Amino acid sequence: MLLPAKYMKARARSLGFVALLVLGLGPALTATPAHAAEGEVTLEGIVNNVILGHATDGYYLNFKPFDNVELPRIMLVRTADGNLDLEAYGSTASMLKNGPYGIQAHGGGESGGHADLVTQGAALDEAISADEHLHSSVQRTDGHVVLDLSISRHFVFGLLAMLIVLAVFIPLAQRYKRGVGREKAPSGVLQNMMEVLVIFIRDEIAKPNIQGEKWRKFLPYLLSAFFFILVANILGLVPYAGAATSNIAVTGVLAVMTFVIVLLYSSKDHYKELFTGPPDAPLLVRIIFVPIELVGLVMRHLALAIRLFANMMGGALIIFSLIGLIFIMNILFGGAVAGGTVIISIGFTVFILLLKLLVAFIQAYVFTILSALFIGMAVEEHDHGGHEGQEDHSSTSGRLEERLDAVEEAVEPTSA
Amino acid sequence: MEAAALAYLAAGIGAGLAAIGAGVGIGWLASSSMEGAARQPEATDDIRNLMIISAALIEGVALFALIICLLLAVTIFLG
Repeated sequence: MLLPAKYMKARARSLGFVALLVLGLGPALTATPAHAAEGEVTLEGIVNNVILGHATDGYYLNFKPFDNVELPRIMLVRTADGNLDLEAYGSTASMLKNGPYGIQAHGGGESGGHADLVTQGAALDEAISADEHLHSSVQRTDGHVVLDLSISRHFVFGLLAMLIVLAVFIPLAQRYKRGVGREKAPSGVLQNMMEVLVIFIRDEIAKPNIQGEKWRKFLPYLLSAFFFILVANILGLVPYAGAATSNIAVTGVLAVMTFVIVLLYSSKDHYKELFTGPPDAPLLVRIIFVPIELVGLVMRHLALAIRLFANMMGGALIIFSLIGLIFIMNILFGGAVAGGTVIISIGFTVFILLLKLLVAFIQAYVFTILSALFIGMAVEEHDHGGHEGQEDHSSTSGRLEERLDAVEEAVEPTSA
Repeated sequence: MEAAALAYLAAGIGAGLAAIGAGVGIGWLASSSMEGAARQPEATDDIRNLMIISAALIEGVALFALIICLLLAVTIFLG
């Protein structure tokens, strides 16, 4: 079932690399100067502003062909006389106009370095009217920025994903409280659809991976993580919206949550094995194993964050690269070639959008099952004799984990 | 060669190597799990779950490489 998907994904990714390589070669092939005439689309502009600007985070919502909506900027700054100050502005433009801030365009300087800081006057107005301020780095002229607490695009869509999850599940929970679904059959499309997903996570993810009855404690977290990631991923497919999960900070926080749960709820057996190595092993083996085990514990959760981030980011980059290819062809080879590229680009874009829908579900599933697995490995208690009755109960999950350990060892030697 | 050119070259070669590694790994995984499912059809569900998890782990390593290549290419471009 998954095979064609994986295969297609690998193909899609290699296509993305082709696009990226073309982008990379672009500046070398063309004689277009870095600073083109007013309003002209340059290769650098496409790569910096269109492709990277859309795929990464930004402080604006883009509603082309209408207008950009700039988001509020909040800065925790240390002023020149050493005081901490919290400054809030309605938008990046107003911050630049009213505050002691300036913009610095990327790589536009005389000797290939950074351009000069533009703070005031006609140059600033010009940059703002060309939307350059949204793609340049903002710097403070006196003192420095301690913490940039600005509201960014991924923040907005992460919050939106959270609100959608709450709006769907709080009414549903109240229905179950009233008895619909418990005493009677669940009614309505929404309740039936969500019950299928919730039961899938309970029976296929939580129960087999977490020993005994302990899954009850962790099911709420797994469900929250799954539905938040799923909704955030799917928001990335909506026009004008973006995926909050294509931000390393968001996925990092999710992974940290799993990590904290693992650390807090680890059984004594897990900690003992973590710090003293496998039982019945000679001392030399223990000395080698303990650091590997500790690094592996951290790497596992780091990989959890990177995996989700890279998958979502990769999809967005490939789509914008394919669309950007049209404009790059236009600059490099002229209108006729660009017209041909349109057909190819749009075809592949549709294909990759479908793939992204699949990836949205797979990545939410993978994150949840790996979280369940890590939590299950941490909370597992070994039989110290006596409880013969429990043997049957945990034998399947124990076997599963044993095999997974072997798999993981083969795959990532560091996290063995 | 200048530094930017070398960085692009490294990013491209690195991405290619990562793709080869992940391709071989996932291909191997798929072939073995299909074989397993064919020999033991009743264990198909179990095998599928394990396959997805291990594919995700393999992919994780490949994506580490991908991110590094991307950073290499993009950072150089941004100057």
